[in-house]
Amino acid sequence: MKPAPFDYVAPSSIEEACAVLAEAHGGATVLAGGQTLMPLLNLRMSQPFILVDLANIAELKGVTRVDGGIRIGPMTRQCDAIDNKVLAHDLPVLVQALRHVGHHHTRNRGTVGGSIALGEPAAELPAAAVALKATIEVRSVRGTRQVPAAEFYIGPYMTVLEPDELVTGIRFPEWSLGHVTLFCELAQRPGDFALVGLVGALAIDSGKVARAGLAWFAMGPTPMRAKTAEQLLSGQSLAEIDPQAVAESAIADTAPFDDAQASADYRRTVGTRLFARTLREALNVTEAA
Amino acid sequence: MNAPDRRAGANAGAEPAGRPHAGSGRYIGQRVRRKEDARLLTGRGQFVDDIALPGMLHVAFVRSPIARGRILGIDLDVARDVPGVHAIYTQQDLAHFNVDMLSFYLVSPEVETTPLANGRVAYVGEPVALVIADSRPIAEDAASLVVVDYAEEDPVVTIDDARSGPPVHPGCDDNIAAEMGEQEIDEDLQALLEGAPHLIRHRVVHQRISQSPMETRGVVVSREGAEELTLYITCQSPHLVARWVSLALGLPPGAIRVIAKDVGGGFGLKNHPWKEETAVILAALMFNRPLKWIEDRYENLIAANQAREQEMVLQVALDDDGRLLASHGDYSVNNGAFPQLSECNIAVHMFVWAAYRMPRYGFLTRGWYSNTIGYAAYRGPWAMESLIRETALDVAARRIGIDPIELRRRNLVTLQDQPTTSCMDLPLEDITPAECLEKLLAAFDVAAFRREQAAARKEGRYLGLGIATYIEPTGAAGAITTMTGELAQVRIEPTGKVTATMSTHSQGHGTATTMAQIFADRLGVPYEDVTVFEGDSSRGGFSPGAAGSRQGVIAGGAAIMAADLLAAKFRQLAAHLLDTSVDAIVIDEGMVRVDGAPDKCRPFADIACIAYGEPDRLPPGFEAGLEAQYRYQPPPMTFSSAANACVVEVDADTGFVRILRWISSEDCGNVINPAVVEGQIAGGLAQAIGMVLLEEVRFDARGNPLAATYKDYHLPAIADIPEFEFVHAGTASQSVGGMRGCGEGGAIIGAPTLVNAIADALAPFGEVPVDLPLTPTKLLSLIEGRDLSAKTVDDQHHFIADHPVTVPVSAAAESAPQAPQPAAAPTAEALVDGDWKMVLSTPMGPQEMTGHFETRGQALAGYLSSPEGQMDFTGSVDGANLKFDLKVDKPMKITLKYTLAVTGDKIAGKCKMGIFGSAKVTGQRA
Amino acid sequence: MSKHTIELTINGLRHTADVEARVSLSDFLREDAGYTGVHVGCDHGVCGACTVIVDGKAVRSCLMLAVQAHGADITTVEGLAEPGGALHPVQETMAQEYGLQCGFCTPGIVMTMAALTGEGKRPTEEQLIDAMSGHLCRCTGYQGIRRAVRKLVAADTGETVDGGAA
Repeated sequence: MKPAPFDYVAPSSIEEACAVLAEAHGGATVLAGGQTLMPLLNLRMSQPFILVDLANIAELKGVTRVDGGIRIGPMTRQCDAIDNKVLAHDLPVLVQALRHVGHHHTRNRGTVGGSIALGEPAAELPAAAVALKATIEVRSVRGTRQVPAAEFYIGPYMTVLEPDELVTGIRFPEWSLGHVTLFCELAQRPGDFALVGLVGALAIDSGKVARAGLAWFAMGPTPMRAKTAEQLLSGQSLAEIDPQAVAESAIADTAPFDDAQASADYRRTVGTRLFARTLREALNVTEAA
Repeated sequence: MNAPDRRAGANAGAEPAGRPHAGSGRYIGQRVRRKEDARLLTGRGQFVDDIALPGMLHVAFVRSPIARGRILGIDLDVARDVPGVHAIYTQQDLAHFNVDMLSFYLVSPEVETTPLANGRVAYVGEPVALVIADSRPIAEDAASLVVVDYAEEDPVVTIDDARSGPPVHPGCDDNIAAEMGEQEIDEDLQALLEGAPHLIRHRVVHQRISQSPMETRGVVVSREGAEELTLYITCQSPHLVARWVSLALGLPPGAIRVIAKDVGGGFGLKNHPWKEETAVILAALMFNRPLKWIEDRYENLIAANQAREQEMVLQVALDDDGRLLASHGDYSVNNGAFPQLSECNIAVHMFVWAAYRMPRYGFLTRGWYSNTIGYAAYRGPWAMESLIRETALDVAARRIGIDPIELRRRNLVTLQDQPTTSCMDLPLEDITPAECLEKLLAAFDVAAFRREQAAARKEGRYLGLGIATYIEPTGAAGAITTMTGELAQVRIEPTGKVTATMSTHSQGHGTATTMAQIFADRLGVPYEDVTVFEGDSSRGGFSPGAAGSRQGVIAGGAAIMAADLLAAKFRQLAAHLLDTSVDAIVIDEGMVRVDGAPDKCRPFADIACIAYGEPDRLPPGFEAGLEAQYRYQPPPMTFSSAANACVVEVDADTGFVRILRWISSEDCGNVINPAVVEGQIAGGLAQAIGMVLLEEVRFDARGNPLAATYKDYHLPAIADIPEFEFVHAGTASQSVGGMRGCGEGGAIIGAPTLVNAIADALAPFGEVPVDLPLTPTKLLSLIEGRDLSAKTVDDQHHFIADHPVTVPVSAAAESAPQAPQPAAAPTAEALVDGDWKMVLSTPMGPQEMTGHFETRGQALAGYLSSPEGQMDFTGSVDGANLKFDLKVDKPMKITLKYTLAVTGDKIAGKCKMGIFGSAKVTGQRA
Repeated sequence: MSKHTIELTINGLRHTADVEARVSLSDFLREDAGYTGVHVGCDHGVCGACTVIVDGKAVRSCLMLAVQAHGADITTVEGLAEPGGALHPVQETMAQEYGLQCGFCTPGIVMTMAALTGEGKRPTEEQLIDAMSGHLCRCTGYQGIRRAVRKLVAADTGETVDGGAA
């Protein structure tokens, strides 16, 4: 269980990295935190010719407030994002999701961008990006494009990212202060792939839901945006919300599968309950506050 | 660590009256700090991968990607050209060694088993070729370039497949690897079952388990000249490995040295080398360079032998008071393609009702070959007996409407009932499951729990209580070739320090600690002054090491006996030097004093020094030095008993199980070190929790393993395991020291305890099908009253009886091979009469004997003689075919039915041994 | 395959080495630097046995390439105890609480405990147990590890706890 041979480069700028990717014509793989890539290399399931380590590119790290929203550098380590005060203040639900990514040790190396770019369907961060309406900034020698997270994922571990492209930023729009946060993950052991997961936020204005962002993880081939539930909630006053009805509309936007961890039927049945339970509890907290 | 009280038992060197008992002393019975920890905590342990030898090369294997097929060709050309590759071997290169892949009992395999695949592959992961290279990565590079051409065939994967599928092994009539018991339930038993007021028919499906020691398999082989071989190997006994390699490879035993200082867990997987280790040893013999192979986790999960995968149906008949009337068990186990032992697990039936007053029991038990990884032991290999019995009893209790505790009280064998024999003729003298149960109930308020449970149910919360009891055979010695006594060698060095060499071996058992506690106590020296060596076949003597919960019991006895011999010798010398009587000698804290004469005292070390260096001062006839050894042969079997309770809450929304409390009440006899004993119990219980809730080796329909990493094979993590509470029952056993084994109990009792708790919690929804692991999907299916399981996976939840066995045991297999009939048949007298040297190949090892036959017409008379004695028989003869019966009393009363055929100077056939199945007989004229 | 010169500090000592790109940090530490206390239990980042401290944080050394450790300050289990032999408080606590049996997973567990405790750190029991969920132990059922965690938390917060084994 040792990797096949490869070359290693650690460019110090985005331009340099993009140039290496372009020249490799698909033979390069980007190394961010390596916490998913390294097992794949060790198992020889991934056999790149060149590994492009982004660790030396300073501009890919850090969390900043930008015109009303937040921009996270993809090479920001998950542990640093968890400790980041801006995130804790502006996007607490993202921090909550981050705490569930892998284990303590993998969060110490793993990056926000690495998880977002990988597109594991049972992972927390891609779903959080979809739910919170993030935009993913993508660069290559051909130029820069902004991809809404909901359009970024096309299948299990499949994204719209071309082989020569690099994620250079993740931008989250502003979620008003005091927004309702929703997070629930059911896994057999801490750090396991989720059986059922959901993440979301409700922006509140004058006791009504101004904006809703909801997505499932482990409930389909990609993060699954609960679009119907978002529409149902938008404009509703908090007192009127029927969590069970919202949950049932949310589950309609999933496409779960049978795997070793749980059956599709299980995921739908439990997903509906957990959604309703999580929404109910979040609303109770909001009411009490 | 609390320092043990040095004063208590200061006269520990005194001769105990009668049988030596450990009891508790300055160190025995204390939570003494482990000797092993200092090196292990600082990274200074020596595991096999830590060994590096000059000139050492590295090995990787080419493995089969298919479960079944013929090898059409192997192309090594490209791989051989990889820079850094030294050699690539296939079975063709190794064939001339003619290795005999022996079982743990040192019996030859039932089917052709070779280190590398021999023309066919029979499971995914089977090693096909072996690459030797400068480094492991290069060896893997080359392995990936070996091209093997296969003609793939449809595999036999599950037990169900094996019943009806084509034989896994060419030349076999079916897939039955081993079989005992009766094909059909006999009429009397059937009548008892059907006529009973209550008949429970309980089915348990146990998934396949990976033993998963944290250190995978591995070996470093070094050949020194033509006659010497050194193996560093992760194993459960260096002595057993040395013996196995010597016999399997036909090497002179003196030439082999096996070293295994630290081993990262064994759990049954590492009893002796198997395909890969053997192939590496042979490759090293051929290539003449030291070789290292360290199994990686992927290999460990797809290609190291595995355990369990069983199905059993237990019928239990009870009267209206819940008293047991009769029972029948039908058991099957998947042996895989090349089991370390063709196994049908007779122990399941030996022990299933051993602790209960069960009037009548019958069974059928079978092992099946399949195109999967071979079967090997795992902590408590017969544990199915407790799982199915204890869960069946709870089903019965619910059905009849009796409290499950009361049901056990009415049926368990108590101390007052003993001595007695079980329904399988097992002698019972001092088992204490009923007593363990009462001690457990003293620590747990059942009535209060029932109130809490009722209140919780009103809130939609489902709490459950599981209780289970069992007995466990431990410290077995004498019935099986490899299960011997243990050897202790101990000396007081000229420095006054104590050095012991033991036949034991620790894979985490802490035997260097527990044995040192015994020596320190019995010799009256500080624990810090005792060093115990083990883990090297050139030291100490033979024992199978960690196998069958034996080391504390047997080696503990050996340590006591050897220490007492040495203490007597020391005291004799001390009395002589201090001019007093032996009885007046007191050894205390490094000083030797004379009772009643405070001015007479000498440092312990001075006397030791004199023993070696000043022969003129020794008593007349005194052998110089202070050394002793003792090989302890314990009673044939020592039973441990236990009762456990656990409380769970099952989330009815998700089917998740949370363990809230767990109490173990175990009778391990005298406890040498409670922390070590609790560690053994806790480790076993954790493994049981893994079995019930998490772990599963799965295959797809083509025999591809689906759990190839620890992402997919779920070992219990810290959050899955509760804090265990311990009650030690402490009934001294009959063995020297009074210890009872504790190595496997937790793994056996844990599963039924937890299953019963879950079943109790979910009783309002119906009976929980015991199909392990009890995943959230399965439990939620019961709660919801509909099947939520995956629709894309074949549902295999059929009752065994729904699939009557269609593979007939062929007539040919039942009767003896027919001797060819010559044109003019010579008389039976000429063919048969005379003396024959014969070998009976039993599951417990080969037994040699001489057979004497005399024929008179169709009548046959004669005797069989062996070192155990001579037994006469009469029988019949038909041409060259003989038939006769022998009644034996040991190990139990059974009739041996021989059917033999003579061909020239050779004789061959079978011996049916009652419930123990059939054994092969071969021989020739004496 | 590219080769790289790396400079790093291991257990306080400077090392310079040439490594192939594909060599993991765990293999480098074991085979090149000689720190065989780093145990490889799975080589895919689940079991935690290979955990070392890199720049103050507990990480899986099988999930890092040696070349990524250029410039890093690394502590392995060999670097915890004082040179004179006195055990680190974490090691001492693990011994007192019977936190190990075979000892194979132990170096990783000890390193996580060491990274999260001491030097004014104030971990909660919940945080330490959560970190421990990234370690697999097949021997102990985690009983002694749990007790050791409790004791370490109490020591770090200055609280007293009923010591000793169950």
